[in-house]
Amino acid sequence: MRTTKIGVTARVVGILIVMGVAVFPLYWMFTTALTSDAELFGAQPRMLPDLSRFGVFVDALAKGPSLTWLRNSALIAAGVTALSISLGIPLAYALSRFAFKGKLAVGLLLLMTQMLPEALMVVPLFSLYRRFELLDSLGGLVLANTAFVLPIVALVLKGAIDGVPRELEESARVDGCNPLSVLLRINVPIIAPSIAAAAVIAFFHAWNEYVFAVTFIFNKALQPASVGLAGFVGEQGTSIQTVMAVSLLFTLPAVAFYLFVQRYVVSGMMSGALKG
Amino acid sequence: MGSKWAPYLFLLPAAVYIFAFQAIPLMQQVYLSFTRTSLLNPTGGTWVGLANYVRVFGSPDFHQTLWTTLVYVVACVVGSVGLGFGVALLLNAKLPARNIARAVVTIPWAAPGIATALIFVWMMNPQYGIITRALRALGVDVGASGILDNPNLALSAILATTIWQLFPFVAVVLLSALQAVPMELQEAARMDRANQWWVFRVVTWQVVKPTVGLVAMLMTIWSLRRFELIWIMTRGGPLGTTRTLVIDLYSQAFEAQRLGDAAAIGMVGIAMALIVVVGSRAVSSAVEREA
Repeated sequence: MRTTKIGVTARVVGILIVMGVAVFPLYWMFTTALTSDAELFGAQPRMLPDLSRFGVFVDALAKGPSLTWLRNSALIAAGVTALSISLGIPLAYALSRFAFKGKLAVGLLLLMTQMLPEALMVVPLFSLYRRFELLDSLGGLVLANTAFVLPIVALVLKGAIDGVPRELEESARVDGCNPLSVLLRINVPIIAPSIAAAAVIAFFHAWNEYVFAVTFIFNKALQPASVGLAGFVGEQGTSIQTVMAVSLLFTLPAVAFYLFVQRYVVSGMMSGALKG
Repeated sequence: MGSKWAPYLFLLPAAVYIFAFQAIPLMQQVYLSFTRTSLLNPTGGTWVGLANYVRVFGSPDFHQTLWTTLVYVVACVVGSVGLGFGVALLLNAKLPARNIARAVVTIPWAAPGIATALIFVWMMNPQYGIITRALRALGVDVGASGILDNPNLALSAILATTIWQLFPFVAVVLLSALQAVPMELQEAARMDRANQWWVFRVVTWQVVKPTVGLVAMLMTIWSLRRFELIWIMTRGGPLGTTRTLVIDLYSQAFEAQRLGDAAAIGMVGIAMALIVVVGSRAVSSAVEREA
């Protein structure tokens, strides 16, 4: 009995250490944003945030380009969400409900797309974008990003449609609905929670994206936050407090929403790797 | 009517889209890899056959890139799967507030890569970074120019950051796999500590083994694709010690302005990703047949 107690204590201590390691960098972002220069660059680091300096967050948004960056990120992310959901729902429906020639090939193609790193495709996309004048446009970024988030979106939605009883569709079909209106009237409302999860995944995939944005956007007014923030590195004249404050504002929505959808992401990723 | 064509109609929009934004770029990549093309004139390449491949494979810098990529990927997979598995085992027990612990552990995976890169750059700042200060306090000499500029430390620093980012995914996936292990056996093992290792080896490991394989494959692919973290933290330096394949590709294309060489490196990367996916599937089906 004693040993079990010690075992539990050791386990709890271990978990607390892991939690500390997981959370410390974000805590440090917060603390750094709320520390004066004198203490930041002093001999001893300040370990606790100075909450009286909270105005740094307001200043970070009010001064400089950060609000524009966040707006651009949100626009790109909204576009990617809309496009990937509208492409993903019919794709998922085809994969879930029909047996057809080439289904295996489609599955494999999705797996390959999911596995293909963005950075490996940046060169040909750049040269095609130059030719078709898609550089320096938020729409071009939406198109590039959607390709890479579509597989996971389709897999999450396919899993949801798999769970919708076919009998529900049968009765609608008896009433004379065509396959498209069966999908829209029967399946879509039932899988609404999974659509929401897929939308969150798509949104934050685009929100976080960097390599296409830094390569395809030259106009500073069109930069998303990922590129803008990265541009702070090594730049003189921007205080580290501002960088950390904007980084935190950029990070918090992603973390908050991901916590809600993580189980969808995990099962989507794993089923893609499993079945493809 | 229509039932024969219905699946293809549903597929059509996504198929057209994937063709335009994946297949055509892939073909363009193949084409570019056989041309000498400058970034400044990306549509005006000249056909050079295999010259880019010959040059890339003949270059000692690319040999270093391949070696660095191998070390980076292997260390990331071993580190993230090992740590993630350990954390999953820790969390796999009746504990107060376990869901909160699980959510907190997920944070590194949910944080945007750019934000992660920025905070770690700051924590490793040569003078004022908290990690630098801590290492100095422990008597570790990181050199005047700091961890990320030290050829002996930069890759380890990048690895630590990447593993920090990756282990939560492994932990969450393996925790749910562990929950499929019969509870009575776990309880029995807990009662009789002498049997714990035996239960782990004979029961737990057998249940989670396929999932560990899958997650290791995903970690391999995710490490191969990791770009922004390394690009922001070191740009592949110092002395090329953190230059993985995607970093090499990007700097060939957008710094050296040689799109043809970059496309050839891209083809090597695509071949690697293919080998990993196909190879791991072959291994897992061979294991299944054996069992």
